[in-house]
Amino acid sequence: MTDDDFALSRRTFLDRVLLASAGVGMSAAAPWAARAAEDIAKGPRVRIGVIGTGDRGRTLIQNLNKTRNCTVAALCDNFEPHMAKARAYVPANTPIYTDHRKMLEAKGIDAVVIATPLDLHARHTMDALDAGYPVFCEKAMARTIADCSAMVTRARQRGKILQIGHQRLFNPTYLNALKRAQAGEIGPITQIRASWHRNRSWRRQIPPGGTEREINWRLYRDRSAGLMTELATHQLQVANWFMGGLPTRVMGSGSICFWKDGRDVYDQVALIYDYSDGRKVIYTSMLNNARYGCEEQIQGSKGTIEPELGRIYQEVQPGAVPALARMRADVQAGRKNTVPIGGATWFPELPVTTPGDSLGWGEYDETMLQFEGFGEAVRSGKEVPGLLAQAYHASVASLLGEQAIDQGKALAWPTDLVTF
Amino acid sequence: MTDMAASVARFAAMGTRVELHLFGCDDPAALAAAKAAILSVEDALTIHRPSPATALNDALSSGGSVVVEDRLLFGALLQVDALWRETGGLFDPTLGHWSALTIDRASRRVSTTRPLTFDFGGFGKGYALDHAVTALRAMGVPSALLSAGESSIAVLGQHPLGGGWPLAVPHPEDDGAWLVELDLQDASLSISSTVGAGAAKPGRAAMIRPTDGAIITTPATAVAAAATGAEAEALSTALLVADPVARDRLRAAAPDHRFLFPHAAPVGAERALEPTA
Repeated sequence: MTDDDFALSRRTFLDRVLLASAGVGMSAAAPWAARAAEDIAKGPRVRIGVIGTGDRGRTLIQNLNKTRNCTVAALCDNFEPHMAKARAYVPANTPIYTDHRKMLEAKGIDAVVIATPLDLHARHTMDALDAGYPVFCEKAMARTIADCSAMVTRARQRGKILQIGHQRLFNPTYLNALKRAQAGEIGPITQIRASWHRNRSWRRQIPPGGTEREINWRLYRDRSAGLMTELATHQLQVANWFMGGLPTRVMGSGSICFWKDGRDVYDQVALIYDYSDGRKVIYTSMLNNARYGCEEQIQGSKGTIEPELGRIYQEVQPGAVPALARMRADVQAGRKNTVPIGGATWFPELPVTTPGDSLGWGEYDETMLQFEGFGEAVRSGKEVPGLLAQAYHASVASLLGEQAIDQGKALAWPTDLVTF
Repeated sequence: MTDMAASVARFAAMGTRVELHLFGCDDPAALAAAKAAILSVEDALTIHRPSPATALNDALSSGGSVVVEDRLLFGALLQVDALWRETGGLFDPTLGHWSALTIDRASRRVSTTRPLTFDFGGFGKGYALDHAVTALRAMGVPSALLSAGESSIAVLGQHPLGGGWPLAVPHPEDDGAWLVELDLQDASLSISSTVGAGAAKPGRAAMIRPTDGAIITTPATAVAAAATGAEAEALSTALLVADPVARDRLRAAAPDHRFLFPHAAPVGAERALEPTA
């Protein structure tokens, strides 16, 4: 598969998703992808009410506008500067609300998209489900594992769709990477080293009328688990996905190491997630060095996949032993010379600097695609298969990691989770 | 002469590079059989992924006993047991705990009176080459040289031009200088060293004397030739970690095949180092 295959036309993008998700084992590993890329059914667009119009909410609105089956039919936010920016992306007559309950009661929508601070996800989701609406909620799911479980349980009780935003699940590069991993190209995966390193404070300027806790909610523990829920969740989902299972336990350490500015969430974390058969995910995140950026290094006995870079690397095969090559040449020439050989065991050169091969590049509309999948799920009343379990387990993994750091001890994977 | 391409195999195994050079036989099945033999031993003895060896370690890490079903692993345990005795405990993949071990051949039950784990390390390479040699003999290969990481070498039969295989162990620090030259036939050679490029690689485990736990850092290279790779590996390891008395005892049993070279002595390209007395 070459870079050209990943041309940016919309149709080609969808074709790539279908192609990447068509491999052996992929229907089990990524059952949502092929369905989400199927043709959209004819019919009226699904009317979406968006709760939360901050940066992420506005990104979601723009992606909703790209879909073929959804339309933004209402906006809700109690912070006027955000709402003012969001209104630029919707028709002028789009109803707006400052209280999400009023929007739910107004009945002018078919489904709800939630992009509020993390601590509000559970409440907004429950209210929307109770009001009879399918819900698309941004990751992470909720501030506590109990709330994550309660959201799933409530959706089942109400018989409503609950979908959580994890765009990598729809990214053709990731799907292609998984396809090649499943085909055995990198051998059995025994370790994934994932990192999300940034060099900025994560602190946002507070606009007039805003408050520190409303704008910088990611920096406070009562609202967010910081790096764990806002960044690690993405990569723990990828880790579970490629490991084909769930962690058995997690241990970790965290600190407020650099940005001592009043925040109370960690600005540096390091964790180890154990999986079955001794496999491990090693995760780090920090906010004062971006050299190693955002990546998952998926390592098997035959190779490595780095999906953010879009590269696949084969393990370097050792070069020939020079003395033995000379020996062969001597024998062929009829010469019997002494063979100089022997010493401490030869080890491969490290680190490997080979360029690897492309997994496929491109600017993808995976967020749009997951919304189209959500729209079809709302229309049919059938959830996009597999997505909720992926999101739920990623959120649990991130929150369990936070607990392991807080408690300073290894924590086993919970046994009282919702089952799928 | 046989076709070159058909009689050479290079591949990664046991954490290093392996080369198989066959002469007088161009049957690809022979190379394949030898490679399969090596990989089978790796599968049995590795502790870097789930294996019969890791299962054994899990079973004995708290003491107790277990029946070893894997043929290659059980064979390795029997050979190590004999070599542990031959070396006076200086070769010990359990780092000093082998005396707690009892092996019942009939039932294949391995028991220990204390917790222990196995790391077969370099022994695995020699043991793997032994199995490769056996496979090549069964395929009718008359002449071959096998190398695992250049620290484990096995020669099968005569040199393709007749007579023994002339092998010289290079000085690890002085290009062109040799520590010793040996003429081998149907034999194995093992080199253990605390110096040289391979010894400096990240991740190399320290050399430890099992009898007292001492970490061996003295710059030295041990060379042992023996009938089998397993024995050569055990002896080169034992020579490197032995104290002077034990080293003299080991060397005296086969002074032309067992050497220890300290690297403080001057060396020259024309003259091999005098082996340590």
